[in-house]
Amino acid sequence: MRPIGFSTGALAKGDFALGLDAQRNVPGIDAVELSALRDHELPTLVDAIGSLDLDDFEYVSFHAPSRLAAMDEETAFDLLLRVPDACPIIVHPELLQTPALWRSLGERLCIENMDARKMTGRTVSELRTLFDTFPEATFCLDLGHARQIDPTMISAILMLREFGDRLRQLHVSDVGPRGEHLPLGATARNSFARVARFVPDDCPIIIESIIAIDAIERELDTVIAVFDASLAQATA
Amino acid sequence: MSSTIDVIESRLGADWSAIRAARARTAAILAQLDAAIGSLHDANYSIIVTGSLGRGEATEGSDADWLLLLDGRSDPEHAILARAIRSRIVEVVGKNVGRTDTFGDIVASHELVHYIAGTRDSNENLTRRILLLSESRALTNPLLRERVIRNVLARYVIHDRSVQSRSGRRQNIAHFLLNDVVRYWRTMTSDYASKMWERDREGWGIRNIKLRFSRKVLFLWGLLACFSGDLFAPSDLYDVESEDEYFSRLAELIRAQTDVSPLELLARAVLQSENDSVADAIFSSYDHFLKVLSDPDARKKLEAVHFDDALDDPTYADLRDASHQFREGVTRLFFDTHPKLPQLIRDFGVF
Repeated sequence: MRPIGFSTGALAKGDFALGLDAQRNVPGIDAVELSALRDHELPTLVDAIGSLDLDDFEYVSFHAPSRLAAMDEETAFDLLLRVPDACPIIVHPELLQTPALWRSLGERLCIENMDARKMTGRTVSELRTLFDTFPEATFCLDLGHARQIDPTMISAILMLREFGDRLRQLHVSDVGPRGEHLPLGATARNSFARVARFVPDDCPIIIESIIAIDAIERELDTVIAVFDASLAQATA
Repeated sequence: MSSTIDVIESRLGADWSAIRAARARTAAILAQLDAAIGSLHDANYSIIVTGSLGRGEATEGSDADWLLLLDGRSDPEHAILARAIRSRIVEVVGKNVGRTDTFGDIVASHELVHYIAGTRDSNENLTRRILLLSESRALTNPLLRERVIRNVLARYVIHDRSVQSRSGRRQNIAHFLLNDVVRYWRTMTSDYASKMWERDREGWGIRNIKLRFSRKVLFLWGLLACFSGDLFAPSDLYDVESEDEYFSRLAELIRAQTDVSPLELLARAVLQSENDSVADAIFSSYDHFLKVLSDPDARKKLEAVHFDDALDDPTYADLRDASHQFREGVTRLFFDTHPKLPQLIRDFGVF
């Protein structure tokens, strides 16, 4: 069984404690991503991380800020060093301005593919360049971003084909026209099902759909159904 | 990196300077256009050029056939932007797009992706779709162009499959696309006749010559792209876990050809044929075509030549002769000298 759970930021923007508590006792959830997507959230989350009760979660990752407005790169990096070693650190490529700094994270550095608004990390060739620069880095495949770039999902399949041995986790959500993370719609479900069979059974899934807390189980069931259907198809 | 055309030119000791000049001129104009309209970048659209700029064959009198390819929300601002794009492009190339309204406008991806064949397809939509595949370049937002092309090819390749072969051999010819490529070539030739009629033969000479060279090369690109699974496949094309993955990879292989100019793709097939006389016939004649087209006086003569005087007009007659050499070269390539094309044409080209 693959670990599955939500990003704290998707459930409670800016309130990691609520985002954690909201999913803690939901049956089937055993993964979480602690999100400090906005840099001003980073110091508070890092200060709190040692005291967070994460025992219910088999898999925990940490999402670094997507951009830096309130602090410089080195300060952000130093704060991220305080994240427990077991947590992969999910980063957007544009954060990686000083490669030597980030290379020192080794395989804990987990690079996410980007949506169309960004200028790098969007395609196989752009990711190839990044992984050349960060040879030990692992990979977070964001299916929503990949689908925004290529709705046929060919690019996502090619990403898995080329970077599958680096794959550390998935991000799953629909992505709207302004890049916003949305609950999975029907076409996204079909698209993701095409890719699901290429994802190893033990690869953790982090759901990034921005939903109300009372919709957690429904969205969880939707995502599980996409991957279960693919599994059933593969074994039929 | 040198092109395959350069490789063949060097091997033959030929001088295809007009092809090289057209390529350089294209790069220069694209750089100017980039400077002129690069600031109009937007995530929801891509500004595309087709025609000679898309093929890398710009000459002295080339215009810029452009489209504002929209793949996202509609916005009235797009019409205002289209006007701004038009004026900036005219400032660079000095002339507006042609008279048919196929170019110089907003084009929504919806029609390109969903109206393939069937009653809602149109001559204009077919033209835009095939040119997007065969001779387009993005001035802004290349990923959007790529996305729309992938969606179009998904219709042609992933969602259109033949009944599985009894032998287990995978289908590697994109039949739907091949049929549309052939349909487009025949549409161009029919539209030539239609314009002869509607315009009372005005400007027929240059259209006739283009049909013999630059329009034909689009057809050749289409055939070669459709045969990619046989001609240009990586060794691991069949190393897949499912039918779906296979067709996705085949679609991607064809998509890769949409970044290759028609003349360059033709050169790759010519190189496979290892026949110097075929190579010389094709590229020397095409080089001559571009050389004449880049001469403003010759171009004017072609635009003005009277139909009844055609064979007495040295410019037209010379290019007509060159077109026979070009046709002879591609005929030999496709029917005789290439290791695979004769069988492919025999199996799929007509019946």
